[in-house]
Amino acid sequence: MALAAPLGMSALASCGTAGPGQARAGEASIWYLSTQPQEGIRQAGVEAFNAANPDGKLALTFFQNDAYKAKIKTAIGADQAPTMIWTWGGGGLREYVRNGQVDDLTDWFAENPAVKDKRFAPSFGAATIDGRIYAVPCENVSPIVFYYNKDLFAQVGAQPPTTWNELMALVPVFNNAGIAPMSLGGQSRWTSMMWLEYLLDRIGGSEVFETIAGGEKDGWSHPAVTEALTKIQDFIRAGGFVNGFQSVTADSNADQALLYTGKAAMMLHGSWTYGGMKEDGGDFVPGGHLGFTTFPEVEGGVGDPAFAVGNPASYLALNSSATEEEKTIAKNYFANGLLTDADADNWITKAGSVPIVNGADAKFAGAADEEFLQFVYDLSSNAPVFAQSWDQALPPATADVLLTNIEQLFGLTITPEQWVANMNATQTS
Amino acid sequence: MSTSTQLPAPAATAGPGAGRPAPTRRRAVSAERPNYLAGVAGWIWLAIIIVPVYWIVITSFKAQSSYFRTNPMAPPAEPTLANYRLVIESGFLRYFLNSVIITVGTTVPAVLVSFMAAFAIVRGGQGRFLRVVNGVFLMGLAIPLQATIIPVYLIIIRLHLYDSLLALILPSIAFAIPLTVLILGNFIRDVPKELFESMRLDGATEWGTMWRLAFPLTRPALVTVSIYQALTVWNAFLLPLVLTQSPELRVLPLALWTFQGQYTINIPAVLASVVLTTLPILALYIIGRRQLLSGLAAGFTK
Amino acid sequence: MTSAVGGGQRSLGWLVLPALLFFAAFGILPLLAVVALSFTSWDGLGEIMPAGLDSWTSVLADPGLPHALWVTFLIMALSWLVQTPVSILIGTFLARGHRYRAFLAVLYFLPLLLSSAAIAIAYKALLDPNFGLGAGLGVPWLVQNWLGEPVLALGTVVFVVSWQFIPFHSLVYQSAVRQIPVSLYEAARIDGAGRVRQFFAITLPQLKYTLITSSTLMVVGSLTFFDLIFVLTAGGPADATRALAVDMYLRGFRGNLMGPASVIATILVLVGLALALALRRLGGKDPTASQLEGA
Repeated sequence: MALAAPLGMSALASCGTAGPGQARAGEASIWYLSTQPQEGIRQAGVEAFNAANPDGKLALTFFQNDAYKAKIKTAIGADQAPTMIWTWGGGGLREYVRNGQVDDLTDWFAENPAVKDKRFAPSFGAATIDGRIYAVPCENVSPIVFYYNKDLFAQVGAQPPTTWNELMALVPVFNNAGIAPMSLGGQSRWTSMMWLEYLLDRIGGSEVFETIAGGEKDGWSHPAVTEALTKIQDFIRAGGFVNGFQSVTADSNADQALLYTGKAAMMLHGSWTYGGMKEDGGDFVPGGHLGFTTFPEVEGGVGDPAFAVGNPASYLALNSSATEEEKTIAKNYFANGLLTDADADNWITKAGSVPIVNGADAKFAGAADEEFLQFVYDLSSNAPVFAQSWDQALPPATADVLLTNIEQLFGLTITPEQWVANMNATQTS
Repeated sequence: MSTSTQLPAPAATAGPGAGRPAPTRRRAVSAERPNYLAGVAGWIWLAIIIVPVYWIVITSFKAQSSYFRTNPMAPPAEPTLANYRLVIESGFLRYFLNSVIITVGTTVPAVLVSFMAAFAIVRGGQGRFLRVVNGVFLMGLAIPLQATIIPVYLIIIRLHLYDSLLALILPSIAFAIPLTVLILGNFIRDVPKELFESMRLDGATEWGTMWRLAFPLTRPALVTVSIYQALTVWNAFLLPLVLTQSPELRVLPLALWTFQGQYTINIPAVLASVVLTTLPILALYIIGRRQLLSGLAAGFTK
Repeated sequence: MTSAVGGGQRSLGWLVLPALLFFAAFGILPLLAVVALSFTSWDGLGEIMPAGLDSWTSVLADPGLPHALWVTFLIMALSWLVQTPVSILIGTFLARGHRYRAFLAVLYFLPLLLSSAAIAIAYKALLDPNFGLGAGLGVPWLVQNWLGEPVLALGTVVFVVSWQFIPFHSLVYQSAVRQIPVSLYEAARIDGAGRVRQFFAITLPQLKYTLITSSTLMVVGSLTFFDLIFVLTAGGPADATRALAVDMYLRGFRGNLMGPASVIATILVLVGLALALALRRLGGKDPTASQLEGA
């Protein structure tokens, strides 16, 4: 994430040659990301669909993550985009919508209520722009989870915090025991951002950031923002995060290692880290030493404690310049190819993740990580709002300023007031 | 003490091997009493150099799952080759081959055209054209050529070379030329004028003189600059980062950096690829160390 | 000039053409183009539009520019200050032919073999406060927020740069020292000069031109430290290590603002030329040019 490759590099190189995503007549094209194990699951899904629909197949192309980001942008600009556009929703989707590059699917969902009802309601948040739905949620959900090390809590005789004050009270307890209270891979920046996302919501409710993301002038001046920023700086001053957290990188998994090696007691991180800790942490996960819960409530805050943050789903949008024939195939795939029983099974068993299918928890029984999967399922399906990361919800240029300012905030080199002023400056343009 | 008057200007008269120290000279100097302070400092510096290298090597033999749970400085309790296997299975050989192609593809032409240019500049350096050309190359030495990456990117796109190995080779040749011309020029100048003169009297053309006289006599320097430029290209990062995109065209340094998923980086595996990347250079270094070090230094110190 | 040489040049001119052609196409042309591009607006994908002075005014008004210049200068100055004395000392040390020093020399030059990307990746992991060098050796002093504190991060960049490049420069100094005539030292010893005195009275003055060559390479090279900083800190924390080259890349290829990025590149080129000229002044003459021109 922090190391995304330069955008736009593929630029003109792809001109002239027929794009790899160009489908033959009678086919619709789709591009997916090539990381494993997701690649295998995506491929299996498309192959199953093609086998069942010989008259309207999909032409599938895989791209490496960074290459995809570069390609899709230029391909859309050059009218060479695939029929279906895979996106993370949010700010990126908003740009497609503003340029009229993707179709409004609201009416289609109204005609196909089963497709909509099958999916987690909160997953539609990032697909909805100004009240209209522009993309089909698919694949799995990855909420940000509050992890803790059960052994360390037993050692100091404490319970996982349910409120912010309890969390603050735990800081000296763990520090006195020679244990870092909280792990954080601060060098990666988006890890620090997750704290602000949760805090702001717990304090001011989800509307505060929604207003900001809508581009409202001086939106960051909301008192809840200042309170969240102040709270996090208080937490840092109290020694809440592991010493030198700004030199810890999340991409090397050093932050997870702090938790499973017993150097830190708690960690706020994506649900995908569960698999990493299971693999690298020895007995930590299988032995039941890993605890997980929701982010603490903040005393006096108005936010719904069931609110969740993370990656609500992946999304497929429909290219507005595709032919009717291609669109028909695509819609067939949306309705009958995505999140089939076999597909959902694969997401559970092969990726160890929770597909955004209502009732998917029925399949968890007997799975190795049943408890965690159920926790993620409940968290994600019950959330009144499932918010995206701020950096994905905001325009790309603003996201960079945001991350830089977060880094300075966590380094205590700027005050909350300066932070708000800096961020408000991005709202006007 | 008169330091300057006694200077016999050794470099100007010595032959191409001037960089190599005369053994007698060394012995004479080392006859002093031993310098313990310098000795201690020397070993401390060795520690600074060697600790990271040591860490890279031992960690590359650790399992990813034990990386965070063992002392980072302790050798692996259960050494494993799994990282090396993983690296090789992840396309290492492809990246290796790409690196070899761009390295050879850059070094050979760059050194050859630079040699020709250096020969012309040294032998005909009084002409205005050649003086200007020489000035241009010298200016190139002072300019951070990487600063021109944006137009290079544009030119490569316009030539329809984007995302090809040739896109890396062409600018790399250009970037290598100024320094190579300078160093080779210094060496060609050391070839005694009488040799050129006698060749000329024998009726040899300049073309023949260049290949049959200057080329063999500057062989040490040619090897030196070749190794130096090869090293530079082998380790290049910015050009591949900007000018290629496909995983199949990745070169080793870039592969190192992209050896990560969306969220994770496997440190022991990355370090295993660092070791694998460095091995061929290490082999070259061991074989050609004396040549490289003496020749390289001579190119810069004269 | 003799007629022999004069007669040679007409037939020799064409020999430089291949090199000149390459250098013109990918060295000089881009150099001119970068200046031209700084007066345009281009997102790296679409049309290149003339934009007059827009990029210049936006970059020059951006407080990020003086900061990036300052960071670049700091890295340049500090890394020169660290590298030069250490390289001279090591070079002198290695030039004397003790056998153990020859052994040390083999190991000293190891960093030369590693790419900047590899070095940066290794140091990034090695400097982790919990699982890195400090924790491994049990030396509390080494457990610092190396990449997280702005001042420390800059210091870390300087250290890693020095670690990477001191081997090369000490190599250069080593052979320069070996070219100093032994008779000078013998004379000095007869005069009763001690080792320190010899170093300052003979070795250092004799290294003058090497010092200028090596400094030029260090200083001009430091303008283009890109891979190392990019992989090690990506310019962070915040903008603490965002030097010009990194700034150029991030603006151009991350932010898709090729116009402003070209402005930064132009500034880089100008700074590089100015520095090289200044060093040439400092040395009285260009040590490299003199070699060729004196043919």
